[in-house]
Amino acid sequence: MVLLEGKNLNKCFNDKQGYTNALKDVSFSLNKGEVLGVVGESGSGKSTLLRVVSGMIPPTGGSLLYKGEEYTGKRPRKTGEFLQVIFQNAKSSFDPRMTMEKAILENGRGKKDRAEILELLKLVGLEERQLSKRAGELSGGQCQRMSIARAFYSEAEILLCDEITSALDVSTQARVVELLQKLKSDGKLSAIFISHDIALVSMICDKIMVMKGGRCVEQGTTAEVIGSPKDEYTKLLIDSARRQSV
Amino acid sequence: MKHGTRREKRLRNRIIATAVLALLIILATTFAGILAPNDPYATSASSIRMAPGAQYPFGTDNLGRCVFSRVLYGGRTTIAATFLLVFISFLIGTVIGMLCGYYGGILDTVLMRLADIMLAFPQMVVAIAVAGILNAGMTGAMVALGITMWVSFARLARSHTFSIKNEAYIQAAFFAGKSDFYIIMVHIFPNLLAPVLTNALTQIGTTMIGLSGLSFLGLGVVPPKAEWGSMISEGRAYIQIAPWAVLFPALATIITIIIFNYLGDAVMDYMEV
Repeated sequence: MVLLEGKNLNKCFNDKQGYTNALKDVSFSLNKGEVLGVVGESGSGKSTLLRVVSGMIPPTGGSLLYKGEEYTGKRPRKTGEFLQVIFQNAKSSFDPRMTMEKAILENGRGKKDRAEILELLKLVGLEERQLSKRAGELSGGQCQRMSIARAFYSEAEILLCDEITSALDVSTQARVVELLQKLKSDGKLSAIFISHDIALVSMICDKIMVMKGGRCVEQGTTAEVIGSPKDEYTKLLIDSARRQSV
Repeated sequence: MKHGTRREKRLRNRIIATAVLALLIILATTFAGILAPNDPYATSASSIRMAPGAQYPFGTDNLGRCVFSRVLYGGRTTIAATFLLVFISFLIGTVIGMLCGYYGGILDTVLMRLADIMLAFPQMVVAIAVAGILNAGMTGAMVALGITMWVSFARLARSHTFSIKNEAYIQAAFFAGKSDFYIIMVHIFPNLLAPVLTNALTQIGTTMIGLSGLSFLGLGVVPPKAEWGSMISEGRAYIQIAPWAVLFPALATIITIIIFNYLGDAVMDYMEV
């Protein structure tokens, strides 16, 4: 079942240097229980794609569909009903004055279910006592897991993960990746996973979309893209990832 | 780290010490009715311009009124009016600043240009002109000062709102479906409260000078009501014969302003640690 679709998405920014085409005819689809990885270097349009898909900024052209229904131009207050964003810097995604419990409850759209929160905490590997803490009192990894719990509490079906491991140290990164893999194997995760790290993306995602200069240069299943890349840029990304791991 | 902690401790002690002094002044003026040895408005032809002594600790004025009692009662007028004015300016300025910073656009342009116009004139000159036109005693003086006072709160609240609204937790609140009112009240206001309150503390001294200044010029309280500025103004005429009639209300004004300014500075330093 197709949950989310983007068709010929374009985004043009008008800045001091003139027009910048940050997204050029990008199309994708995300099925239920699937994780789509978006990879590319800085400035390739990954984050713009996330901002457009989430409704933070409207696309200049193209359309967005959730379960076949168009939602192009809808803002986060509306899109938040079916998708949630996990931000790169999880600490800054929590109000520094708010306890974790309040922050999670805030995302429930009126729902107040402490038992569910405790269950979610267990799922992401956190403890009840951490609910009374503020973002400043938790580590980056704990905040990231807390933000995953918060997103799940909203009952939104889709997670948009924006470079969620890039601000974390290696061991914390591994724990977050493990968590995502677990959620995926439990069939609880439908997500778009944005990262510059193709090796990481290949560990979590079913499908990969490679972006360069605002365009999608290659798209396919993880096995296809990693196993037999067609585009030169994809080959370069895979080669650099291999060299880094040696 | 150790140095930082020591500095923090020193600043905290400074805040506690000045806050205690400020509280003492507030309590002394609040309970003026109990502490004042004489009726501050009772005139006595037999005790005109008496030097400080046992019966009249700060002496008497030209009408034989107890200066000490009038300083206590006058402090109540000055401090209450100052606090009220700072609070109203804080409220109006913060709301305007948050709305401008949050919504931006035409609202921000119009209100901030108005603020710029207000800042183009010296505060006291505007206050004298407005108080003179209103001619409404202490209320007029408060309105006159309040016309320009909200600006500093508005600009501060606006700049903080600008930076807070770009934080990821505000985006997260949008995804949670929260309204603008909720975001402003729950996320923005509490996060800008500390710097704006610190500004309010530093404004107390300036406001006190402004109100006493207007009263000194006859644009504040209406005699015979006791107020430090008007007491200095009245005593000025016979300063060479009875300097205590000017000295004590002037000292009370200076000491109170120094304490509140010092408290404001200490809190500001502490927030920056």
